[in-house]
Amino acid sequence: MDVVGQIIGGGVARILIREKSGVKLEMGDLLLVDETGDNSLILQVTDLQYHSQVPQSMRELISGMKLEGLGASLDFMEPELRNYIVAQAKAILQVKDGHSTIPKSLPDFFNSVRHVKEDDLKFLTKPDNPLYVGDVRSGSKILDSKVYVNARDAISHHILIPATTGRGKSNLVKVMLWSLLDLGGFGILVLDPHDEYYGRNEKCLKDHPQSENLVYYSSEAPPGANSLIINLESIKPHHFSGIVSFSEAQNDAVNLAYHKYGKNWIIKILEGVSLPNVKETTLSVLIRKFNTILGIYIDDKGNFQSRNRLFSDTAGESTIKDIIRSLENGKIVVIDTSRLMGSVELLVGSIITGTIFNKYQRYKAENLLREKPVIGIVIEEAPRVLGGDVIATQGHNVYSTIAREGRKFNIGLIGITQLVSLIPKTILANMNTKIILGNEMAQERSEIMASASQDLSDDNRNIASLDKGEAIVSSIFTRFAVPIKTPFFDEFIEDYSNEEKEDKGKMAFI
Amino acid sequence: MYKFAHLADCHIGAQKYPELKELEMNAFKKCMDRCMVEKVDFIVISGDLFHSNLPNMGAVKEAVEKMKEVRDQGIPIYLNYGSHDYSPNETSIIDLLNSAGLIQKIVEGEVKDEKLKLKFFQDPATGAKLCGISARKMGLESSYYDALDRESLQNEPGFKIFVFHSAITDFKPEFLAEMDSIPLSLFPRGFNYYAGGHVHLHSEHHPEGYGSLTYPGPLFGSYSKDMEISARGEERGFYLVNFQDEVKEIEFIPLPVCKYEYMYQDAYGKNAIQVQNDLMDRFEKIDVEKKVVLLKIRGELSGGKTSNIDSRTIKDILTRKGALYVGINRHGLTSREQVKVKITESDIPSIEKRLFTDRVGDLNISEAKLQKNNGIKLAVELLRTLREEQKLNEKKKDYEERMKNVAIHTLHLEEVFYEN
Repeated sequence: MDVVGQIIGGGVARILIREKSGVKLEMGDLLLVDETGDNSLILQVTDLQYHSQVPQSMRELISGMKLEGLGASLDFMEPELRNYIVAQAKAILQVKDGHSTIPKSLPDFFNSVRHVKEDDLKFLTKPDNPLYVGDVRSGSKILDSKVYVNARDAISHHILIPATTGRGKSNLVKVMLWSLLDLGGFGILVLDPHDEYYGRNEKCLKDHPQSENLVYYSSEAPPGANSLIINLESIKPHHFSGIVSFSEAQNDAVNLAYHKYGKNWIIKILEGVSLPNVKETTLSVLIRKFNTILGIYIDDKGNFQSRNRLFSDTAGESTIKDIIRSLENGKIVVIDTSRLMGSVELLVGSIITGTIFNKYQRYKAENLLREKPVIGIVIEEAPRVLGGDVIATQGHNVYSTIAREGRKFNIGLIGITQLVSLIPKTILANMNTKIILGNEMAQERSEIMASASQDLSDDNRNIASLDKGEAIVSSIFTRFAVPIKTPFFDEFIEDYSNEEKEDKGKMAFI
Repeated sequence: MYKFAHLADCHIGAQKYPELKELEMNAFKKCMDRCMVEKVDFIVISGDLFHSNLPNMGAVKEAVEKMKEVRDQGIPIYLNYGSHDYSPNETSIIDLLNSAGLIQKIVEGEVKDEKLKLKFFQDPATGAKLCGISARKMGLESSYYDALDRESLQNEPGFKIFVFHSAITDFKPEFLAEMDSIPLSLFPRGFNYYAGGHVHLHSEHHPEGYGSLTYPGPLFGSYSKDMEISARGEERGFYLVNFQDEVKEIEFIPLPVCKYEYMYQDAYGKNAIQVQNDLMDRFEKIDVEKKVVLLKIRGELSGGKTSNIDSRTIKDILTRKGALYVGINRHGLTSREQVKVKITESDIPSIEKRLFTDRVGDLNISEAKLQKNNGIKLAVELLRTLREEQKLNEKKKDYEERMKNVAIHTLHLEEVFYEN
């Protein structure tokens, strides 16, 4: 056994281990204590400290003498015995006969500990619907043990990815989406504000062998992609709920216009029709709001115009239905929103998400939900729609409704955020899988830890020290908070690139 | 200034009832006559001139006579296959008429290094250049668009027309959302005119980077749904396009061949007798003289059987009142007394597709080509092709052989059944 230390004290939440000389334990290292029988305990290092048998004043004196050139040859006798490192660890899992349980007792005093090896993690079996998120990480060492979550459970119970910029969240999402394309049968809507998932100019999801299950929409569609055009008739007043704030008078006007003109309500407002009991000024403000927020207006010749070319009065009639159908067929739909303003992006998402949510509610009522794929909605900067302030001032929107109720209808969010603290605790508590990436903001770390599915109260430094691609998966579907390293996407897909492409045969043109 | 006519989806030979057959042919003849009156320089037909690749010969004869008149006036007809008159081995009636020089198929190309390079056909009188892609069964033409060498097409100088027979995702009407379609991004840019077919509604579009793009819709219609849409006010006709170096004017020319009467009867909450009585009251008040009457009955009856609403009686009454033809759509009619079969679709192809969709999951099939959407498409297509009836003067043995070949082609089993 490659002993790396020995238990020398502490308690249940804080086991102290003296590090063996020459061994460099790391924050987050997974250690194992072999006990009697086929019984072992897995520990995780949460802190490291210097300890010494030499009094502090003596250490300071010797250091000073060496620094000032008065005793270059001075050294401690048997320094590996006198000066050493004590690791603080927490027991995260008890493994007995291949089964894991939450530890309820302490390992034997003075027991030796070693690094966890791949064989020790055999209990980490591949679940149904395995969604790959990375490999088990012990400190900065990557073990040959893949970590999967059950996609069906995890997505329907919402996934939160808290991370600050540059910690690898896009890379993680790319790997997850790639893995979902492998799996198939999951309807995933990706609102992509950086146009980074499809792979317009580089390798990405479009290069997946099952790319027929990927649908891409963009207002600048490359060949083969779909134009992101939404017909005005697809938009209903409730799609604006919680996304664009209307005054009470404006709300009344909007609902009245919808009641009177049905699908043509927006165009009628833009054309300046008068509505009973609605002031001219209210309509003028609405026209201005549609112009500034959605970029739509009627030009001098009386023609409808859309500045971002997203909305149309003639094209895009089937866009929403097409997207919904793709999702219901278990495809991944990536929507390039990089050319849209934030509120328009959320509105587009609201139209699609609201429609699929209503459909799934109906399927549940008709007992058809089991036949339908789980739907996941990937949304960046989640506090824009899940933030406490936003909900308080603009009311609930379809995203917050899904965060609270989506689970019942097999619809979940995959929310990405830098600022967890803006999301109310009630919503955070509903996001049952958190893939925690590095975060240097103390307040954000404490919010993440407080809402995790496992006790991460000792992991403050661990989270702060997570490097790019390193993460902790805390989920109600995992026994413990699993430290992982997500591979770099480009390296991850290399294996696929080498696969032989299916020979489709020569095409005959008739 | 030059002028051409653009029509599509004539579906000659689709109608079975004599009254409708006559209207279908009248629509085509009126269109050709108008083209001659307008002295168009050429005619573009964007697919489905005929309803099948081997249509009823009586209908073919009449159509050919009219097209001969057009040709004798020096007006060429350019066209592509539609999804109905397509033939995988180029033995369609279209190929026959093409060989005879009556029409000119303008779809030709070569696949080199996995790129499809299309050939242009030039109209001698106007210099307009035409090329295009035919439809294939089950939307399989999408592979042609994927492989299309767009750059060479875009770089071709002159006045260019792209002829196609596919729905475009961007312009698909909402009620046709289920229809297979090609994204506009796969079309070559820079053509002056995009002559579309397949979508049975007329529409005109001007997408940025592309020229004018139109769908004329059918001249009359092939399915009851088409007639229902016509009865609800959709004009049927074709486009006249004036051009020089670019498109100057596009005009939709309506060609009404009959008057319609559309009636919708909501049966919800009423029993069969009440619905029948309501209909009789309504029939009293309407004028159906020389009209095509489309009656749609939907909803769940509170009592009685759906068969208690007697279609024969309804047709007799309306025919006695002078109706030219009576079509009754009762696919959405159910009764609480009968076993509930949930039908939301309102036309037979959609219902068939829905039933296949509901059942395909119950089958344990390992062949990927027969699973899910592929299997559904194949089943729908096979059903459609096998529905074709024995032709007049066709021997039973020949009919069986023909149907066997059609089925083999539909199922792509040529390699299994044919030696070469």
